[in-house]
Amino acid sequence: MRGKTEILISSELQAFTEAAQRGEFNLRECLDCGEVHHYPRAHCPLCASRNLGWRASTGQGRIYSFTRMPAGRRAIAPAIVDLDEGLRLNSVILDADVHKLAIGDPVQVRFQPDAQGALRLAFTTPDAETARAYSDRAFAAVDADREGFVAGAEPALVTTVAVVGAGNMGIGIATAFLKAGFSVLMLDQNDEAFDRARTRISETFQRDVQRGRLDPAQAADQIAALQTSTDMARVAEADLVVEAVWEDMALKQQVFAELDRLARPEVCLCSNTSTLDIDAIAAATRRPDRVVGLHFFNPAHVMKLLEVVRGARTSDQTLALATHVGTRLGKVPVVVGNAHGFVGNRLMIAREHEAGRMLLEGALPNQIDAVLTRFGMPMGTFEMQDMAGGIELSYRARQARGEKSPIIDRLFAAGRLGQKTGKGYYRYAPGKNRPLTDPEATAIFEEASRAEGITRKPIADSEIEDRLILPMINEGARLMAEGIATRASDIDVVWQTGFGWPSWKGGPMYHADRIGLANVVDRLNALVKSCGDRFAPAPYLADLAAKGGCFSELEEI
Amino acid sequence: MSISGKACIAGIYEHPTRRADGISTAQLHVDVALGALADAGLSLADVDGYFCGADAPGLGGFSMAECLGLTNLRYMDTTETGGSSYLLHVSHAARAIASGQCNVALITMADRPLAANAGPVLAGVDMSLVPEREFAAPVPLPPVFGYAMIARRHMYEFGTTPEQLAWVKVAASHHAQYNEHAKLREVLSLADVMESPLVADPLRRADCCVVTDGGGAMVLTSPEIARSLKRPVVKIAGAGEAMKHNAAGRMQPMSSAGQFSAAKAFEEAGARPGDIKYASLYDSFTITVIMQLEDIGFCEKGQGGRFAADGNLISGVGKLPFNTDGGGLCSNHPGNKGGMTKMLEAVRQCRGEAHPAVQVPNHDLVLAHGTGGLMSSQHMAGTVILEAE
Repeated sequence: MRGKTEILISSELQAFTEAAQRGEFNLRECLDCGEVHHYPRAHCPLCASRNLGWRASTGQGRIYSFTRMPAGRRAIAPAIVDLDEGLRLNSVILDADVHKLAIGDPVQVRFQPDAQGALRLAFTTPDAETARAYSDRAFAAVDADREGFVAGAEPALVTTVAVVGAGNMGIGIATAFLKAGFSVLMLDQNDEAFDRARTRISETFQRDVQRGRLDPAQAADQIAALQTSTDMARVAEADLVVEAVWEDMALKQQVFAELDRLARPEVCLCSNTSTLDIDAIAAATRRPDRVVGLHFFNPAHVMKLLEVVRGARTSDQTLALATHVGTRLGKVPVVVGNAHGFVGNRLMIAREHEAGRMLLEGALPNQIDAVLTRFGMPMGTFEMQDMAGGIELSYRARQARGEKSPIIDRLFAAGRLGQKTGKGYYRYAPGKNRPLTDPEATAIFEEASRAEGITRKPIADSEIEDRLILPMINEGARLMAEGIATRASDIDVVWQTGFGWPSWKGGPMYHADRIGLANVVDRLNALVKSCGDRFAPAPYLADLAAKGGCFSELEEI
Repeated sequence: MSISGKACIAGIYEHPTRRADGISTAQLHVDVALGALADAGLSLADVDGYFCGADAPGLGGFSMAECLGLTNLRYMDTTETGGSSYLLHVSHAARAIASGQCNVALITMADRPLAANAGPVLAGVDMSLVPEREFAAPVPLPPVFGYAMIARRHMYEFGTTPEQLAWVKVAASHHAQYNEHAKLREVLSLADVMESPLVADPLRRADCCVVTDGGGAMVLTSPEIARSLKRPVVKIAGAGEAMKHNAAGRMQPMSSAGQFSAAKAFEEAGARPGDIKYASLYDSFTITVIMQLEDIGFCEKGQGGRFAADGNLISGVGKLPFNTDGGGLCSNHPGNKGGMTKMLEAVRQCRGEAHPAVQVPNHDLVLAHGTGGLMSSQHMAGTVILEAE
């Protein structure tokens, strides 16, 4: 009988990969005829000599030709590259602005792991490399913040975390803590909520085990570290409390007053609010210095971003603890100021508002989403809303505020809640998540336009891009002016970790600098004329542009 | 040794199916073999030479010879060069017949990627053992991307336009409407093709061939035997084959190996491109056709797009009707290999047996050409010129 199939790895591949791990791209060189070749062989394919060595390539080349994979989760452009050394290679350009490529453009080697983790030859663009270097500095600045807070004193040891509220966010947050090895005490008034919570948490661990990401024994230990109780008094067992109850100020204040009464005095109370005033929540307690926002993003056990919301009275020690715990969760904790929507959602709201507006004016979801994916986002805004149940969330939030939305109200009334109902802004084939244009949805948009007295007309892709991206930059400038974001690069870190902005494009504020702030201001002013005052450049942005400044100046760290 | 006029195609058969649910690959090979032999008026016992590619299941030629019941074999060739394999088989069979190594050569091709849910792969080819795979890109790159890069470079160097590419599909669709077995029979306008979604910029879905199951077979024999049968005599006037590859980083993708295979075939046939009345051109993608028009010599390098856009490929309209069965773009590309079907329609044209709506009036000299592999890297071209007696 035959045994296991032999997997033979050539010595050329070994040598090539070792060099690749040092970031070096080596060409095979014939020591007899002097020619180089790729792919590396044990003989010279030009003169048959076996007397071979390696020659370091500059790793620089130019595009001979290229194509693009359809816009999607990752930017992939198969390419034929002419290396500076004169060799022509079939390869691929990865993680770069593939919609801006042209024949003759410079590219450079950037080794990338394949699905099995083996390092393989690929190329990228100088612009993408510059943006990635900026991104590294932006993340380093966030790390430095954390270390700054910690400098005072080592944060208290946290082993048991109480998660208050067993809804969707509570479940995600509990999962995140369990996966990081914490003990979790889940508290809720409703005993039945725990069944669903336990099922969902087990499913998540089970999936990780099935995919080989988690050892079964470790999974069992981590699930066993979950306790549930309806007895709020048990919060006294917790070293840290994270509240994730319904987004309602009166309710949150009531919960925090109770937590303040029952939790040990030195324990920090964190709120997962995404919209509410953290100071008003803290005011319900006698320990406002130990109250902080921990804004997780859904699904909380997956998303890297953690906005740490600093209230007016939040102490540095509390921030040290919050950021330290965030890091233990494997997240990127970014300290932000206390304001509606904090940082990430403020920019998101600016974009979504305009996207919705353009649906009324004549654009369709697939056109707007295609502009975003070509821009570099892994997913369009409407596809994302369909996936995340955004129609229902938005409908309910508006209902609570007594606001109307001509499109969302109609979609909701038609039972179009997104992927889970098979239709939303798009329609979905049963069991599939590929968004399909739906004439029924288009009819709803057209009806909404008529009801609003808007004559639909085509909108050019370039205008769509400006109307989606420039308001984000403008909103970022306001956050800077208000001090909600300490650094423009923090906004970029938030959008990379929470909203899929690619590292090879830096972030919205970096993007603003790349296209030029004066240009941003001019284009916003043009939109003021054509679309309205909502595009008026923020004074902070206008001032910075007038001074010839830029947002994202970061020292090399 | 020239084989010009020393072997003939006596029988052909194309499987009518485009989706072979419930029919095994071996059965498809048998179906087409018996069909071609019946067309020729010959029997299994007459066959003494057998030709197949890697789509022949199991032990390939061994398995199919036994399965078919070929008991008098004295010659076998299992050359596999992707889609061009069957043009090479014709050339090799003609040479074997001309040199007296066999009298009746059977060539079969069949596969069922649709029914087997196999995707755009070649049967019998283990990609995991490709030597350069160790050094391949970190993400899988399907074949369409190689052709898309050829298309973009062609546009860059020669000003070819997406509309010119689209004209190739439009022409094929004009022919496919008359083929009752064609997978896509709808006549397409330029706008129809241009509205098709991009799959690998600049190639659209409509720029790509169909994926089908099925296959076909041919019977070759000596002129003496061919004349004794009741079918029109189609002589092999000339054939050529040539390969190009990455050349260790020195490839020149703007001309294909077809340049060399065609030159050899024309030399052997004593003919020039202007003599050809009909051409079966490999049409995995629209750009494949444009490259071959230039490389074979039907037009100047860089003028293939204009040649197609001027309507030259449409039968009854242009000067070089192509793929009058609808080709791989509209009718059939069984097993992701188009070489067999290219040969079959060329034989029909040479016999004067193509659909009357697309039959070229003068069919004394026709050509079939195939490109196997990836035109952007390793590929093997085969050209066959047929002459009506």
